[in-house]
Amino acid sequence: MALRLPTQLATPGKFHHHHHHHSKTSLSLKRTIAPDAAHFSPLSSSTSTGRCNVGPTRVMCTAEAETVGVVNLAPGTPVRPTSILVVGATGTLGRQVVRRALDEGYEVRCLVRPRPAPADFLRDWGAIVVNADLSKPETIPATLVGIHTIIDCATGRPEEPIRKVDWEGKVALIQCAKAMGIQKYVFFSIHNCDKHPEVPLMEIKYCTEKFLQDSGLNHIIIRLCGFMQGLIGQYAVPILEEKSVWGTDAATRIAYMDTQDIARLTFIALRNEEINGKLLTFAGPRAWTTQEVITLCERLAGQDANVTTVPVSVLRWTRQVTRFFEWTNDVADRLTFAEVLTSDIVFSAPMNETYKLLGVDVKDVVTLEKYLQDYFTNILKKLKDLKAQSKQTDIYF
Amino acid sequence: MNATTRSPSFSNSNTYHYQTNHKRPTTSFLGTLTFTNSSSYYYITSRCTSTHRAQNNRHNQNNFLLVPKATASQTGKDNKNKNKKNKTESNKKLVQDENVVPANENEAEPIKLEQQQQQQQQPSVSISLDDVNPVGLGRKSRQLFDEVWRKFSGLGQISGTTRADDRDALDALLIREGPMCEFAIPGAQNTTVLVVGATSRIGRIVVRKLMLRGYTVKALVRKAEEEVVNMLPRSVEIVTGDVGDPYTLNAAVEGCSKIIYCATARSAITGDLVRVDYKGVCNLTKAFQDYNNKLAQLRAGKSSKSKLLLAKFKSADSLKGWEVRQGTYFQDVIASKYDGGMDAKFEYTETGNAVFSGYVFTRGGYVELSTKLSLPLGRTLDRYEGLILSVGGNGRSYILILEAGPTADTTQSKLYFSRFSTKAGFCRVRVPFSSFRPVKPDDPPLDPFLVHTMTIRFEPRRQRPNEGPTGPKQDLRSFELIFEYIKALPTGQETDFILVSCTGLGIEPTRREQVLKAKRAGEDSLRRSGLGYTIIRPGPLKEEPGGQRALIFDQGNRISQGISCADVADICVKALHDSTARNKSFDVCYEYVAEQGRELYELVAHLPDKANNYLTPALSVLEKNT
Repeated sequence: MALRLPTQLATPGKFHHHHHHHSKTSLSLKRTIAPDAAHFSPLSSSTSTGRCNVGPTRVMCTAEAETVGVVNLAPGTPVRPTSILVVGATGTLGRQVVRRALDEGYEVRCLVRPRPAPADFLRDWGAIVVNADLSKPETIPATLVGIHTIIDCATGRPEEPIRKVDWEGKVALIQCAKAMGIQKYVFFSIHNCDKHPEVPLMEIKYCTEKFLQDSGLNHIIIRLCGFMQGLIGQYAVPILEEKSVWGTDAATRIAYMDTQDIARLTFIALRNEEINGKLLTFAGPRAWTTQEVITLCERLAGQDANVTTVPVSVLRWTRQVTRFFEWTNDVADRLTFAEVLTSDIVFSAPMNETYKLLGVDVKDVVTLEKYLQDYFTNILKKLKDLKAQSKQTDIYF
Repeated sequence: MNATTRSPSFSNSNTYHYQTNHKRPTTSFLGTLTFTNSSSYYYITSRCTSTHRAQNNRHNQNNFLLVPKATASQTGKDNKNKNKKNKTESNKKLVQDENVVPANENEAEPIKLEQQQQQQQQPSVSISLDDVNPVGLGRKSRQLFDEVWRKFSGLGQISGTTRADDRDALDALLIREGPMCEFAIPGAQNTTVLVVGATSRIGRIVVRKLMLRGYTVKALVRKAEEEVVNMLPRSVEIVTGDVGDPYTLNAAVEGCSKIIYCATARSAITGDLVRVDYKGVCNLTKAFQDYNNKLAQLRAGKSSKSKLLLAKFKSADSLKGWEVRQGTYFQDVIASKYDGGMDAKFEYTETGNAVFSGYVFTRGGYVELSTKLSLPLGRTLDRYEGLILSVGGNGRSYILILEAGPTADTTQSKLYFSRFSTKAGFCRVRVPFSSFRPVKPDDPPLDPFLVHTMTIRFEPRRQRPNEGPTGPKQDLRSFELIFEYIKALPTGQETDFILVSCTGLGIEPTRREQVLKAKRAGEDSLRRSGLGYTIIRPGPLKEEPGGQRALIFDQGNRISQGISCADVADICVKALHDSTARNKSFDVCYEYVAEQGRELYELVAHLPDKANNYLTPALSVLEKNT
């Protein structure tokens, strides 16, 4: 490939720490704990070198936009603006994006990792599935041919190393996109990711934002707060099945949003040329604490939840313990959210301006009450039937 | 109480307290990780316990003695983490792990057992070999531990990512059929839609939209080449056939309840146009009707879709009430000198046929057969949408005249007519009420509710010779019509056949005439078919995402704008279950501001939107049966 990539871009391992506009708040105390834990761990040295995202380290990424011109190698057929590539199409948000895109008449290509159980549902909907692995950059360029817009909703799964997909993979993808003249790149990030560098996932998202902004690609960054869909598995189903619900006593509030709404607003933003290069934050209509969500579920389900409240202090403590072991490092990475949870932070953002910008009516955005109510009224009976069947096979002591 | 429970908390007051308000007697485990809530835990516990019951007390005591030993070195959670580590590390650890875990269980169990023994002496329970199998127990306890660990590590996440195994169950609820899906349409699973032209610009999107909504989709393609098949979602059933070839269509319509026709000729060659845009529609409607009739016969008379019998000619008695008349449209003085006269009779033959036959040699003359309709009690024709006649004969065309008005005062009745042709030999003819036109152009459209008299008229004008062996010798002024029955076709609520036609805009002027002619002929054959139809005439198609701009729905060929393929596809899919779309033809395009002096004030724009169904309000103001 005759791509003129700046060498700086090609080495994602080259980071240095930076601390710009990051105020050291109470969080800094916790951040000093993490490296100590890592230091004591006899196994930490065997983790991959060049680790960019553990503990308080921050990733600095630079992309030299001015040296990279859009290389249009193919003077032939212009790409159709309806042809899009969705990365992370099998995820909670990704699949909604794919559905929305197909329904609005886009030609959708889905970048999916080669795996034994292929994502059949995407093909059944009429999307074209291409195999590529973000951790293997050489597999990427072929999937971008003929693509106008990339929508990137990929986030590493809990069981895999966060850095592999979320950072190195994304860097490679953005570089390829730039080199192949992709005309728009939509990136989903996490709300407040600039304020919590101690959380590896957020740190990486923030750095990817920066990298994308510096890349010179025509882009939109959308920061998200939380998905309503996630609540179903976490609270609604366990409550209905009379299983224990695990929650924290943290006062964190999250403005959950329906992924279908996120997908809808994304495409409105995508088509609006005025939003190019902007950073939007999508938040649900109201921010909820875990306790409030559980209470709401209880009311709608008509039964009490079996709540196991885990104090946040335990989470924090567990994270430190897990730092001792190599194999739990990723879990520990995830658990650093615990630290975010302790601060009475609100994962929400005023949406009025965004709605105005997009020309969306507030009434069209689903509230959590409505969402869960729909869920419970429709599923209640169905689940109870299922439960009745499964109960017969359980032996109760 | 629980298989993962360990007893360290007795000696360790620093442990975090997870105690929740369980109703079950867990107090002795205060401070341990008690996960007593899942039914699966109980299951395993009960098995473990039964194991222990079988073991003697001495053994239990031995295990019990181990407890402080295990707890002295580590806290409960350290223990837990270590356990987790063992599990995940490698296969070679498996054996060790399996040995460790049952031992842990044994540590926990005796305490509980002791309690139980204090409370009540339980009889020993018979056990199987499986119950004492340490490998099996170890595996179970590890599963248990995984479950707990998963929940625990899940706490630290904002988006609540679900694991793959949860996902499958949730997918079914949230994505595929669930009510959580904004695309879900009730009954879509039971609806099979045949898409003709599935690889066209509109067809491709139609297929996807249908798949997203859970319909079963059949696609008619001319050749099942790999390139074509790859263009379609994999679970679409592909039928090979050609709309120009009626024999290939029977397989295509099999099992279908709706048809969306978005095929169009690929060239301006007249042959192509006629084959696809006209004959194609014609052939497909026929195949579909034949299939529907076959189904209706299976459920004869029992469903609301059954036809209403108006007349059946199976005996001489059934001819009663029918009256033969004759008349002339005009009095031609010169012609009357050469008047050949006319005659007609309606009789029941020895072979068991009710035959209406005769000749009309008079210019401007006609003969007719008329009867007053006597409907069964409680039935009115407004619940029906047309007539079906099973007739035979020598292939003339006839005029069916309906007289409608208040039965009390027949002088106020208005006449409506529709022409139908027959084939030589027996055939079934469908005459939808929508095809009737008032004799006096100013009269309102036919209201089937008011119909009281039916007349079948023969006139020598506009007769065409039959093709076939009888050849040109036949005298077109004589006729023979054999009646079998006359029935009314029931009304459906929804459209059966959606045809994407065009407005003619955007076609080069040189070929516009030809294209429109074929399209209009296709539309007409659909309207006459008796199927519930929706004819969509979009402006010039644009390849861009749909749902962005307001649409204008109109009748009368006035629109001037284009429309995206995706919007047309959306209208097709929405029209499937919309009763306002039935039997309507309309033009549709993007909203626009009319030029000065050419304002079309009656055009109302409707924005496609998730929340509101734009189609119903848009179509409800439009005329039916145009």
